[in-house]
Amino acid sequence: MGNSNAFHYEGEKAWCPGCGDFAILNAVEKALIHAGKKPEEVLTVSGIGQAAKLPHYLKSNGFNGLHGRALPPAFGAKAANHHLTVIVTSGDGDMYGEGGNHFIHAIRRNIEMTVIVHDNQVYGLTKGQASPTSDKGMKTKLQPEGVILTPFNPLAVAIALDAPFVARSFSKEIDFTADLIEQAMRYGGFALIDVLQPCVSFNKVNTYQWYQQRAYRLGPEHDPTDRAKALAKAFEWDSGIPLGVIYKNPRPGYVATVIGDTEPLLKRKVNTEKINSLLARLY
Amino acid sequence: MPHTTLTLGGMAGQGLVTISDLLLKLLARAGYHLLATQDYMSRVRGGHNFIQIGIDADRIFAPQPIINILVALDSRSIDEHRHELTAGSIVLHDSDNKPPDINGVRFAGVPMNRFANKAGNPVYANAVALGAIAALLEIGMKGVDSLLNEHFGKKGEAAVEKNVAAAHAGYDHIAKYYAETTSSLPPVKQKTRMLINGAQAIGLGMMTGGLRFISAYPMSPSTSIFNYVTASAAELGILSEQAEDEIAAVNMALGASAAGVRTAVTTSGGGLDLMAEGISLAGVAETPIVIANIMRPGPATGLPTRTGQEDLNLVLNIGHGEFPRFVFAPGTAEEAFYTAIHAMNLADKYQAPVFLLGDQQLVDSYVTLDRLNITKVRIKEHLADPAKVPAPYQRYRITPNGVSPRLPYGTPGVRVMYDSHLHEEDGHITENADIVRAMVEKRFRKLKGMVKETGKPIWYGNKKPAITLACWGTSYGASREAVDALNRAGIKAGMAHFNRLAPFPSREARVLLANKKHVHTVEGNFTGQLAQLLARETGIHSGMPVTRYDGRPITARHIIDKLKEVHGNGKFKRISL
Repeated sequence: MGNSNAFHYEGEKAWCPGCGDFAILNAVEKALIHAGKKPEEVLTVSGIGQAAKLPHYLKSNGFNGLHGRALPPAFGAKAANHHLTVIVTSGDGDMYGEGGNHFIHAIRRNIEMTVIVHDNQVYGLTKGQASPTSDKGMKTKLQPEGVILTPFNPLAVAIALDAPFVARSFSKEIDFTADLIEQAMRYGGFALIDVLQPCVSFNKVNTYQWYQQRAYRLGPEHDPTDRAKALAKAFEWDSGIPLGVIYKNPRPGYVATVIGDTEPLLKRKVNTEKINSLLARLY
Repeated sequence: MPHTTLTLGGMAGQGLVTISDLLLKLLARAGYHLLATQDYMSRVRGGHNFIQIGIDADRIFAPQPIINILVALDSRSIDEHRHELTAGSIVLHDSDNKPPDINGVRFAGVPMNRFANKAGNPVYANAVALGAIAALLEIGMKGVDSLLNEHFGKKGEAAVEKNVAAAHAGYDHIAKYYAETTSSLPPVKQKTRMLINGAQAIGLGMMTGGLRFISAYPMSPSTSIFNYVTASAAELGILSEQAEDEIAAVNMALGASAAGVRTAVTTSGGGLDLMAEGISLAGVAETPIVIANIMRPGPATGLPTRTGQEDLNLVLNIGHGEFPRFVFAPGTAEEAFYTAIHAMNLADKYQAPVFLLGDQQLVDSYVTLDRLNITKVRIKEHLADPAKVPAPYQRYRITPNGVSPRLPYGTPGVRVMYDSHLHEEDGHITENADIVRAMVEKRFRKLKGMVKETGKPIWYGNKKPAITLACWGTSYGASREAVDALNRAGIKAGMAHFNRLAPFPSREARVLLANKKHVHTVEGNFTGQLAQLLARETGIHSGMPVTRYDGRPITARHIIDKLKEVHGNGKFKRISL
C-alpha cells in the first residue's frame, strides 16, 4: 500500500513472526482506506494483550487502556464525540475473560462501534495459558491435564443477547476480513467480528492448517436475520467453522437513540441560565 | 427557645421524608436556619428511621444529641429516643396509642390515623402531623396551606383539599387541647432561605464546573448525587450512564475524558476499591477525572446507610504505582459546591484524578444557605489550541510545569494516543530507562503548581488557644460547635479545618498547628487518619484523636466528652451545650 496508506505505522511491531495479528492489522488498514476514513476521524481502543497492541501500530487516534477494559472507554469516547469512528481491538482473554461483563453489557448498550476480537484460543502475552475459548483437552503449563472448562462461545452469547451484527473471520483471509470490518463500521450499532487467528508460539492445536481445514465461507443461502439458524451456525465448530456475517439484527444504536442529531458533548458549553434555574428550585 | 431540635421518627415507608421535606421548606421560607440529618436503616419497609431537624435563628453546623420535640409516627419511636428526651420535651404521638409515662416529658396526642381516614385515606396522616407540628411550633397555617397547594397541586384539587383538611384537623386539635404544650421558635427576619443537601451541592458544583459525562454504579450513600445530576442531565446537555459495574463506570469516564469532555464518577468505598486500577490508569495516562467518594463506615459492606470518615488513607493511596492527585474533603454543603467546581477545573488543568470525599452525613443532610454565588465562576478552557501546539503533536510532551498540551480525538491533522504503559512523549509504548525517568519526573513536576491551588486549611476560633482541634470533611461542623462551646465557657479553643488533603498543605499546616498545645484531630474513624497524615507530612504529633466509629455523626457533645477523657473533667465543668 506504500505511501498512500496514511494509517501505516513504520516502526517495529512486537509480535512473533507469522502471528495472525499482522494480517488483522493489515485488514483494519484496508477497511479504513477503502471506507475513505482519515486517521484523525478514527479511534482504536484496546485493553491489554498481544491484540491490544494494535492501536500503537496504526497511525490514528488510540486509547490503550487496561486489561479487559477496552469496551468501557470506547463507549465513553464515542458518547463524548459520536463523529469518531470507534474500533475496538481485543483478544479472547481480554474480551471474553477479564472483560466478560463489559462484553455482555456493551451488546445491550449497543453503541455504534466495531469490535474485532483476535481469537487465538490461548493467552499469548502471558505465554500460553488457556483462554476462555481454548478447546477442551488443550494442555498448558496451568492446565497440565488438559482444559476441562467448557469453551466460551462468543457468537452464541452475542446472538443470545440479540447483538445487532455478529460475524466471524479467519485472519489469513485478509480481504474477506477487511470487507467484514467495513460492513461493521457502516452498520450503525455494536458489531462483533470474532477473528480466528493462529498463535504460532503457544497454540499447537489450533494451527493455520487446523483452521484452514475447517473454515468455510457462508453462502447466500444463509439468512443472517434468522436468529435460530444463526444460533445453529454459531455452534458449528469441529466439523466446519462458518465465516461471514452470522447474525444481523438491525436496530437503532445508542448514539441514534440517546444522543441523536445533536452536537457532540465535546462541543457543548455550560448553560449558566439553566444552572441558575436549578438553584432557584432550591428555595 | 434559642435552638430547637425536632425529631421525626417512624418506620421506613411511613412517609417521614414527605413530612420532613414539607416542614423544611416551610421553615426555610419563614427564614429559619435548619440542619436536617437522616438516620436510616438499610431497608425499604419497617424498622426505625428518623430525621432530626435543628431549627435556629443562626446557622447550625452539627446535630445535637437532645430532642425538644419528638414526632413519633409509631410507638417504637418513643422507646428508641427516650434517652434523648429531657424535662420539657414534647412528644407528639397518635392519641390512639397510649404513650409510656416519662418524667417531665409533655405528651401531645393527636388521633393522626383517625383524622387521616376521616379525610379519606391513611396517607393523609402525614398532613395531620404537619398541621400538628405547625401548631406546636406556633407558626400558623398560612405557610402550610400554600405549601400543600404547591406540593399536591399536580395531583388535582381533591388531593389538595383533603391534605389541607387533614392538616387543619391536626392543627386545630393541638390548638384546642394543648395550647400550653407549645414550643415557640426564636424570632427571625422573614427571608426565604435556600434549602440544599450535600448531594445537590456536589452535583450542582460538578454541573457548574462543566460536567459533560457522568457514569456510575448505584451505591449508597453516593447514589443521591448521581440521581440529582441525572434528573437535570438532558436539560444541561450532560450524558449520564448507569454502568454495569464500577470498573466500567471509571473506564467509561476515562474514555470520554480522553475524547475531551469533563467527566465525573460517583461511588462509595467498595465501589471505589473496584475503580482502583482505573484510577491508576488516569494517573499514568494523565486523564482528567473527578471521583466523588461518599463514605460509609466499615470494611466490605459495612453500614451501607450510615456515616463515617474511614476512606482518607484509601484515597490518598488508591491505585498502584505513583502519580500526583488531588484530594478534597469539604466540610459543609456550601464548601462542597465550590469545591466541586474547583475539582472539575483542576482535573482538567492538571490532567490528574481529583477526589471529592464526602460522607452520608454530608450528602443526605439538608441545610439552609443564603445563596450560592455563580457569578464569579469562570470555566477556563484547558484543552490546548491546536494552532499553538508544536508539530508533530505529542500527547505527553515534556514541559517545564509537567502539563502537556491536551487535544481531543478528532482534531484535524493530529494523532492523539493515550496509553496505560510507561510511554514516550507521543504515547507510544517504551521501555527506555531515560524516557521512563523523564516521564515520571514530568508527571511529578505538576505538584509544584498543584500545591499552590485552592483548599488551604482555614482557622476558626481563638488565635491563642489552650485546646486546638484539627478536622477534615464533615467533622468540621461538630468541631466548630465544640470550639464555640469551649470559648463560651472560658476555655480558649481554636480549630484548623482541612479541605485539601493532597497535595497536603504542609507549610500552612505547620503555621497553624506547630506551636499549639493540645492538638486533637476530630475524625469519624478509629485510627485517626488525619493525625497520621499530619505526622507524616509535617512531623506534628497531635494528641489523642477524637474519634467516632459507630456510624453516627459526630456532635459537639461527643467531642467535649472525649476531651474530658483526655484532660480530666475539671475545667470542662462549666460547658453548656
